[in-house]
Order: sequence, then structure tokens, then C-alpha cells
Amino acid sequence: MTGLHDLSHRHDDTPELLETDRIPPGTPILELVGLQKKYGAVEALKPATITFLAGEIHAIVGENGAGKSTLIKLLTGVIPRTSGEIRWCGKPVPLADPNEAIQRGINAVHQEVVLCPHLSVAANMFLGDEMSSGGLMRKGAMTTAAQNVLDDLGFNLPAGETLANLTIGQQQLVATARAAMRGIRFLIFDEPTAYLTRQESAQLFRLIRRLQSEGVTIVYISHRMEEVFELADRVSVLRDGTHVGTRLIGETNDAELISLMINRTIEQIYHKEKLPIGATILETKNLSGPGFNDVSITVRAGEIVGLYGLIGAGRSEFALGLYGRHPCTGGEVYWDGNKVTINSERKAMDLGIALAPESRRDQGLCLNLPIGLNINLPVFKRLSRGLTISRKLETTNADKQINDLKIKTPTRAVLASAMSGGNQQKIVIGKWLSHGARLFIFDEPTVGVDVGTKAEIYRLFAELLKQGAGIILISSYLPEVYELADRLHVFRQGRLVASHDYRAASHEDVLTEAIGV
Amino acid sequence: MSLDTTETKVAPKRGMSILFSLTLLGLLLFLWLLLAFSTNSFWTPNNISNLLRQGAMTAILAVGQTFVIITAGIDLSVGAVVGFASVILAWLLAAGVPLWIAMGITLLVGVAIGMFHAFGIVRMGLPPFIITLATLTSLRGIGLLITNGSTISISNDAFTNFARADFLGVPSLFWMVIVVAIPAYVFLHLSRWGRYLFAVGSNREAARLSGVNVNRTIYLAYILSSTCAAFVGILLASRIGIGNATQAEGWELQAIASSVIGGTSLFGAVGSVQGPLLGAFILATINNGANLLNVNSFWQRIITGALIILIVYFDQLRRRGSR
Repeated sequence: MTGLHDLSHRHDDTPELLETDRIPPGTPILELVGLQKKYGAVEALKPATITFLAGEIHAIVGENGAGKSTLIKLLTGVIPRTSGEIRWCGKPVPLADPNEAIQRGINAVHQEVVLCPHLSVAANMFLGDEMSSGGLMRKGAMTTAAQNVLDDLGFNLPAGETLANLTIGQQQLVATARAAMRGIRFLIFDEPTAYLTRQESAQLFRLIRRLQSEGVTIVYISHRMEEVFELADRVSVLRDGTHVGTRLIGETNDAELISLMINRTIEQIYHKEKLPIGATILETKNLSGPGFNDVSITVRAGEIVGLYGLIGAGRSEFALGLYGRHPCTGGEVYWDGNKVTINSERKAMDLGIALAPESRRDQGLCLNLPIGLNINLPVFKRLSRGLTISRKLETTNADKQINDLKIKTPTRAVLASAMSGGNQQKIVIGKWLSHGARLFIFDEPTVGVDVGTKAEIYRLFAELLKQGAGIILISSYLPEVYELADRLHVFRQGRLVASHDYRAASHEDVLTEAIGV
Repeated sequence: MSLDTTETKVAPKRGMSILFSLTLLGLLLFLWLLLAFSTNSFWTPNNISNLLRQGAMTAILAVGQTFVIITAGIDLSVGAVVGFASVILAWLLAAGVPLWIAMGITLLVGVAIGMFHAFGIVRMGLPPFIITLATLTSLRGIGLLITNGSTISISNDAFTNFARADFLGVPSLFWMVIVVAIPAYVFLHLSRWGRYLFAVGSNREAARLSGVNVNRTIYLAYILSSTCAAFVGILLASRIGIGNATQAEGWELQAIASSVIGGTSLFGAVGSVQGPLLGAFILATINNGANLLNVNSFWQRIITGALIILIVYFDQLRRRGSR
């Protein structure tokens, strides 16, 4: 197997410092000494001293807003530091612009894919660095070279394909391959598995280990504890901009890391109360539609019905079908025992169904509009007096949700795009709380949300259940549905393949059913 | 999605957008003062009424255009609709249809054109740019067919006197701006349908899943734009006393420019009613002033272009600065 670095066609013109600065594994490659970043009066990162050792996988965990993004931006030269020192291979460096970071071999793979969707996979991998002869691009040569890299990494991806035709997960792998072929020595992954399937995650983990064996230092940022324990050698914890500690992975556990992150124990996160279960709210009989087939489920007041499956298993499609977004092609829906036809979103809302959709950015929020408008959007009719909206009702309703949900914003006029993932999710939820519903569908409510906010969201579920609502919880994160759902349905390829009562099946059984081996 | 929470972007709040409007108003007054001191003929009742008349029609078009732009669309047809509406009105009057009914039918033709645009966008999936570009050229063609390439003159004196009349010392055409602007303001800023325009312009899918009838909102925006244009067509017919399909050439660009100068974002979800009104009168003042100063009319076009770049650039700076 050839090393990844040898695959890089830029090997010849990589800067000299890469060659002269070779340092043995296990010794410090990058040291942060009292590194600090202020935005105006706000201290986004309090003076932090962290050492990264050559060839280690160093995980960084922390809630949203804990300073992880700031740290990445400092390490990749995107923003200047306020004070402190960064030492690369023992020598202080300015690390003042992205090009310097790239020249030194520091690269980052971001959570959101930042590539050109209309270009081919190969063109994206070589973007800004094209092979050419006599001013003309050598398209064929690039495709071949890119294909070699992809094959070598074990990613089963076609280099000639247009990027937009790949899934988000596959695009993420392309971004990783792009970084991997650029003569890297220090690679930062920011929540890389947020959109990946299990197989894709496994491919990514293999790649990370392989890079490590070739001497690359990896910084791995994730919300998922099990990934941190599977991959990392050491883990650093950030909380509220403070570096609260670094541990060897063998000398720590979930409980300790979580308490460092949020001062809360794991039992307090999955907050499950035994509540009395009431009458049936919704029943579907053999419901079919685009992407799902023959699904029969029942939701009763006071219970959480979990829908588990891999991404693309038809759960979100089922939710959208039920909500009237896409027309159902067969089967029946009963609401309070009466047969109903839900052919529009409005109809679903009027019945008392609320949907917090899968993608906050694409389906959930009007990002460039104020928080208040987002929260009030479903209920403007109720907030109107005659032809016009009552400004008083409008502000009270928005402020109530902001306070109740503890959305961290100075005013309701702040744009939704300025909020962190967790706070954005709260805005989506607040929107539906103000509308009021008896059946809440939460589609992946905790993706990209930190542990503290997760716990808040779960506690909110309990509140809703106590008020007599029913919840459909869709999640690809097994512990979440497993610990919370009173009844757990497993989806595979658009069909409901198995159903279990609370904790009646093991994790392994559920997984097997979802994968279908 | 760990967006950085430290750079808090505050929406252009009411205070902020008022500030922007005041800046535009300040610019308008500055231009007026400048012209009042540098020419003898600017600050005369005659010229001021003339200026208000010139700006009035663009202003009404710009308000309608703004509704469409807020939904992240564009309406290129408004100039053609103005010419077409003047033809329809003159034609109906020539056929002996009573004035009020003829005006009502002309406005309904505007509604129908808007519905057709929305139909093309919603049902046929055409980009707004394309469908309105198509009607821009075909409406001129239909108008020319009806008139056989010439003009239809209007003999109704009561009607043709209207555009020249004053009411309380202010030109009647300017009153028409107020007649349009007040309901437009209530609609866009105070009613829920206005909020829906912004929501659709920001994120269609999120709006749809929040129970907003997206298709109806798009219909509403294009109908309002075309109806405003048909209304301007009636005013133009009154002013020039003829129906002519080739009138109002390029007014769509004037309307879009006014809207953009007034702070509307072509990406959607940002805009107001007062902004395009001020924008339209700023453009009218520049044209008027350039005429009085004997500036070559070719230069007027260049100045207008430069002004669009400048004002929108400063608006961008302001938005960036307010983060």
C-alpha cells in the first residue's frame, strides 16, 4: 500500500518546512500556550494551553458555544488570536492566514461540505490545484489520479460523477479525500459523522486510523461519546470557552467527560418518567406513499413512539406523508378514531399535528429572518386582529417561547442564522409549542445539538407528554430512541420491519433489524 | 451545525430600517437643496409638480415590484404591462365602454397577467426571470397587434385632464402614490400576508411546513405587481392621452432600480414600502436635475448606474457593520 502522501501530485512543490520539521511520534507537534480569542468584550476562548502530540488522535468535546469552532478557526488561520502563542514543531508561528496553515500541512474537514456541487468529484478534489499542461487542464489524468486515491482509501466512489449526485455522506468522504491528498500533517475533523451512514462512518474511521499510522496528527471534534472512545488517544474538554481538562482515553469514561462538559450525570440526560398512557390519538393502517410502504403505527396520549432506522430508511418520508407534504398513495389514517384525509400541511396543523423537520437549515427555519418571526410563523392568523397583526400579541408570544425554552438571544429581532445548532432547534420547537398540537413529530431533533441542550429537549418531551400529547420521535441515534421510546419501530427500506416495547430488545437486535443482515 | 454564536447578527430592526429610510430621505433633500441653489428653475412650483408626476409612476411600479422581489422573484414585465394596459384602456374607451368600467377591466387584465406569471412559476416550474421576460416581449406584441402598430387616442377630456390636475396644490398623480402606498404599507408591514411574503422569500420549504400557503403567496405577489403596473398604465394613458404599446420602455429597470436603492435585497426576504418610494423619487430627481443642468442625457444613464452601485454598496457596508 502506498502512502497517501505519495499519491499527492504536489509532493514536489510542498514547502521545505515539511521536510525539515520531521519530528518523532509522541512529541509535541502543535502547542497552544495561553491562546485566547476575544470578540469585542466576549471571550470566546479563555487562555488555553493544549498540547497536540505528533501522530495522536486527539478528541475535543464540548457543548455548542464551548469554543470548539473558535479553536478550529484559530488553528486553521481563519481568524487572528487576541493573545497567547502557537508553537509548531517547537517554534512559535504566526499562523495568521489560511494559506500559511495549509502550507504547514494543517487542514480541516468541516461539518458542512464546502465544495462545488456542479463539478465532478475529481474536479473538486483538485480544485485550486489542477493538473495542467501548457495551460490546458488534464481532465483525464485528474480523474484517473482521483479515482486511484478514492480506491486506495476504500471509498467506493466514482471520480467522474457530479458531486451533487452523491449523498451528503459521500460528499463528506470526498472532502476528506481532498484533504488527505494534500500532503497533510495535522488534520482537524469537525463533527464529520453528523450526516454519515454507519458504513460511511466505518470507512471514515478506517481512513482516520490509516492517516494516523502514516504519522498524521488528528484532531477529532464530536458530540458522540462512543466515537470519541472508539477513536481517540486523548481527549480535551471545553466548557464555556474554558479548557477544563485533557485526559488519556484509558483513564476516563463517559460519565467523567460529560460531567466535565456540563456538570450533569448521564442518567439525568435521558430523562424518562413513567407516565400513564391514555387514549389513542393517531392510528395509521397500511399507510403508503413516496418512500414508504405499508406502515401501521399507533400513537397514544402520553407516549413516545420511536422510529429507528438508517438514513434513507423511509422514516422522514413517512413523517412528511403523514403531515400532508407529499400525497399518500394508499392506506388509512385515523385521528381520535375518525378516518381523516390529510392532503395539506394546513390540514395536518388544524388537526393538531406538528412537525419539527429533519433539516433545520432546509426545512425548519427562515434563517435570514428574525427569531420572533420564525416562532410566530404558524400562528400569525391567531395573532391577527382583523387585517393586521397585533404587535403586542406578536411580541408576547415570541418572548414567551424564548424565555420558556431558554433560547440564548438578547432579543427576538436577532436573525435565526446567528444562533447555534441547539438554539436553532429550540426555535423550531418553540414554533410548534406556540401553535400547540396533540401529536408532535420530532425528526432527528438532536443532530448537531450538544449534550446540555439534548437534556433540555428530552425534558421538554416529558412536559408535552404530561399535557396529554403524543410524540413520534425519529432518530438515527440508537441510545436516544432506545432510552426514550415507549414503543420502538424499526424501519428498513421504506417498511416497518420490527416493533418492540420499552427496552424489550437489545441494542444489537435493533441494529441487526435496521441493517437487515 | 455549530455556528459561531459570538457574531450576533441582529435583524435590521424597525429602528435600523427607519435610519436607512432617513438616510435616503436625507439624500433626496440634499439633492433638492443642491439643485435649488445651482439652478433657477428647479425650485419653481411648475418644476416640482413635474418632478412629482415623473416620480409617481415609477414609485407605484417599484412598490409592486418590491412585493415580488421580497419573495426572491423578479417581475421584468411591468413596463410592458404599463404600455399594454394603456392600449386596453384606450381600446375600450374607443369602443364606447364607460370610463369606470374600462378602468375596472384594465385592472382585471393586470390581475390576469399576474395570475399567469404565478401559474408559470408555481405550476410549470419556470424561473420568474424567464416567465416575466416572455410576457415582456409578448405583451408588447399583442398591444401592437391590437393597435396595428399605431396609437389609439383618447377623447375623454375628464380622464385626460386628471393627470394634469392638482388637488390641494399637489399633483393628482402624486396622490395616487399615497393611495397605493398606505394600503401597501399595511399589507406588507402590518398584516400576516406580508410576513408570509418574507417567509417565502427566505425559505420556501420552511414556510410551507409552517402552514403557509406558498403557492397562494406567490400568486398574491405577482398579481399585486401586475395590478400596480396596470394602474400605472391607466395613469400614463391619462397623462399622454393615448394608448400605445411601446410606451414605458425600460420602466421595469427603473422600478427594480428604485426598489434596490430603497434597500430591497434581490436575494429575497429584505425590503420595505417606504424604501422603493424614496428610491423612485431619488431617480426622478436625478433625471430632472440633469435636464435642468443641461447634462447630456447619456450621462444621466451613467450617473443612475453609478448611483445604484454606490447606494447598494453602502447598504451592504451598513448591514455588515451592524452584525
